[in-house]
Amino acid sequence: MSRIALWAVAGAVLGFLLLPLVIIVPTSFSASAYMEFPPRGFSLQWYRNYFTSRAWIEPTLLSIRVAVVTMILSTVVGTLAAFGLVRGRFRGRRVLEFFLLSPMIVPVIVFAIGCYFLFARVKLIDTPAALYLSHSIVATPLVVIIVGSALRTFDRTVEQAARSLGAGYARALWHVTIPLLRPAILSAAAFAFLTSFDEVVLSVFLGGPAATTLPKRMWDNVRHEIDPTITAVASILIAASIVVLATGEVLRRAAERSRTPAS
Amino acid sequence: MAKPRYWSVTEGPLVLPAVLLFTAVYLYPLSRLVAWSFFTPGFSIRHYRALFAEPAYVTAFVNTFDLSVSVTVMTFLLGYPVAYLMTTISPRARAIVLACVLVPFWTSILVRTFAWMVLLGRNGLVNHALAALGLVTTPVALIHNRIGVQIGMVHVLLPLMILPLYSVMVRIDPAWLRAARSLGARPRQVFLHVFLPLSLPGIGAGGALVFLSSIGFFVTPALLGGPRQITIAMLIDLMINDLLNWGFGAALALVLLVVITVFFVVFQRALRLDRVWGGAV
Amino acid sequence: MVRRREVLKVIGTTTAAVALGPFFHARPARADKGELVVVTWGGSLVKAQRKAYFEGFEKETGIKIKDDTPPTPAKLKAMVESGNVTWDVIETDLAAILTMRKDNLLEPIDYRKLDTRALDSIYPATRLPDAIGSKIYSFNIVYNTKALAPGKHPRTWGDMWDGKKFAGGRTMNFGGGVTPQLEIALLADGVPKDKLYPLDVARAYASMAKLRPLVNKWYGSHAEAIQLVTSGESAIACTVGPRGIAAKREGAPIDVEFNEGKLAADHWCIVKGSRNREAGHAFISYAIDAKRQAAMSQEVPYGPSNKKAIEFLKPAEARELPSSPENEKMQWWWQAAWWGEIGSDGKTNRERETEKFARWMVTG
Repeated sequence: MSRIALWAVAGAVLGFLLLPLVIIVPTSFSASAYMEFPPRGFSLQWYRNYFTSRAWIEPTLLSIRVAVVTMILSTVVGTLAAFGLVRGRFRGRRVLEFFLLSPMIVPVIVFAIGCYFLFARVKLIDTPAALYLSHSIVATPLVVIIVGSALRTFDRTVEQAARSLGAGYARALWHVTIPLLRPAILSAAAFAFLTSFDEVVLSVFLGGPAATTLPKRMWDNVRHEIDPTITAVASILIAASIVVLATGEVLRRAAERSRTPAS
Repeated sequence: MAKPRYWSVTEGPLVLPAVLLFTAVYLYPLSRLVAWSFFTPGFSIRHYRALFAEPAYVTAFVNTFDLSVSVTVMTFLLGYPVAYLMTTISPRARAIVLACVLVPFWTSILVRTFAWMVLLGRNGLVNHALAALGLVTTPVALIHNRIGVQIGMVHVLLPLMILPLYSVMVRIDPAWLRAARSLGARPRQVFLHVFLPLSLPGIGAGGALVFLSSIGFFVTPALLGGPRQITIAMLIDLMINDLLNWGFGAALALVLLVVITVFFVVFQRALRLDRVWGGAV
Repeated sequence: MVRRREVLKVIGTTTAAVALGPFFHARPARADKGELVVVTWGGSLVKAQRKAYFEGFEKETGIKIKDDTPPTPAKLKAMVESGNVTWDVIETDLAAILTMRKDNLLEPIDYRKLDTRALDSIYPATRLPDAIGSKIYSFNIVYNTKALAPGKHPRTWGDMWDGKKFAGGRTMNFGGGVTPQLEIALLADGVPKDKLYPLDVARAYASMAKLRPLVNKWYGSHAEAIQLVTSGESAIACTVGPRGIAAKREGAPIDVEFNEGKLAADHWCIVKGSRNREAGHAFISYAIDAKRQAAMSQEVPYGPSNKKAIEFLKPAEARELPSSPENEKMQWWWQAAWWGEIGSDGKTNRERETEKFARWMVTG
């Protein structure tokens, strides 16, 4: 009985999460030049608009590149910091933790202005590097929180067992601790990727004609008129994310099958 | 206390890469703005006095807090059942649920907010559905007010609650639950006295992520809110982007940072959250 | 101990490699010569500008134009103050120019370098020391034609204030400052359009308070206002008329009433410290030409800043422009002088009133 209730509540929440797609996907096939629902007519013009324009494709590729570098940088730095903060024994740990979380509170526009002056000095304005570094600052706090919470509940006896069986620190970390933290690290990495992928203020300030990201391109597009191109972009990304998730799942299952001999 | 030899690796220094990165790319650039908030051009607390003299800024702080706290509570109430469900189903079903959580996350906040405008508007899908069901006769105002912003923000932030919750719940040892059951606890008791306390770190992490993220929210309140949902981030943007009053914008940001810090310290002490996520003290 | 040092070393070098790796990417070449960065509001506007101005200019001079957007004052200020000026020419409105001027972010325009024949027919009020008119826009009554049939639509700002005569939500701008809201509130309250300045601010706010209950959204961007009216969320908007006309041409249920509208100009400006001032002047000179401005107005329904351009347009094309002779007569020109006055607090009227407006919005 309670199981049914759980499914009902969770199902409703999932329905709520998917609800905007009901608008976004159909609107992207609309023949009308502005966002309206139900869409009038059928047309692929917004997709054509996207796929035939370098002004859309290049920002997409740059955004992916920036998001991947940001993800790697902030996941590595943030995971290490989480280890240091949770397991380290030093004064001022709390203060340091709050320092590493504070970029979430400081409005991005304030950070962006400060960054502009720094990157102007080292001639990095309008380069992807400015975006890697600044996006990493915004993404790292998410990693610190997620990996930190997982580490705090981590049962160290497993790691101790590995060490007592002769594994070195690094080996125990790599073969025991990290795999156990995998769900946390993976979700932290996903959030880091998406934080960068949807970031617009830093991209406007620190980017430029030579480094335009997809969100900046989308904002440029809607500033003058709200046409359905952005819904076509969203639909393409949704399709891509489903493909990525499905491939990952298939690979995971294949790996599992090859590990357990067929009986 | 004599430590076993394998503890000789102290892990404290692992924070160093983050500290280096943050000092160079975050603290150093921000220090310039902090300085601007105090020097106009001679040392002065003029900006801070102006800030506290006007009730409007206090109101904007209250608006920001109201939205952040209510959205955090809502994402918890909606996210917990989903995360819990994910721990109790087959890997295949879990992959599907996970996809439902993550797929909307790929849609930019901008696009999602426009979608909500279309969904929740006077002539929107939701109002049509309510009218068709005979629940309302005239369209209900679902956007450009508090509920509109809350719907938009909860939608954006739910994954930030669900995933940390799940990553903690999935490592709760089923042996604990079996033990409780074998000792005669009823399912509700097992949940309330064993599972829920063990999932607290996930709640702490998810809550912190959602609360801190919503403080700086900008696009959603601007597009889906009304005058009562003008947040401090919106006013900071006005000062910095439009009026070029950087000193005052920085002062607002600094006060925001201090207020949130105090709030967090008090909150942690009051709820003894330090035991769950404030560190291994 | 050895192990620990090794571990730290590995971690250290990995982090360094990840952190520094990006710096080894080739920096995009930015030639100081042969390239001009022009910053405008993007979207369909920059598409039209490319067609009407950029392409011809590139062909004629061999100078490539790179466009960027948006021309935010904050980025401009950061650029100028850090000495890293990457923009050359920007197009923006006079209200923003007042703020930029105060912070010394613009170069003077050298009128000797501009096409003198074209200059003669540029609206005199838009020939400023640091800016010159690029196009004419207007703030008008923009309404949903399904809610309010043309002919029975609001014709004055007083009508927008009249909730009994005209049903439906109103939308007005919160973003972008407090002009022209204050002027429009005074017009709605019965102040004649030639007696607006200096503004009676107290009376304007009293009038705004009367509109407030009718407003269902204080919008942030003009694209948002058009979306609100198109979807029927609001019946009447006070927003940029040419954008309403553009939406109408796309088939949206929307129309524009020009009566009592605010007329104002967008301007070309040269960024302080631009390394391409010569090319910048050459571009501006190219873009104030009457024929080219007429071509621009055929693409997007903004008025030319060169009065002669109207002669190159068919009457049908000119009719829906904010600065067509008939429409110009019905409207009033926005006056920057009062807004630019600096008070005893060191703030311009625009800055002070914009802050006050934001506070009024939050607490009202």
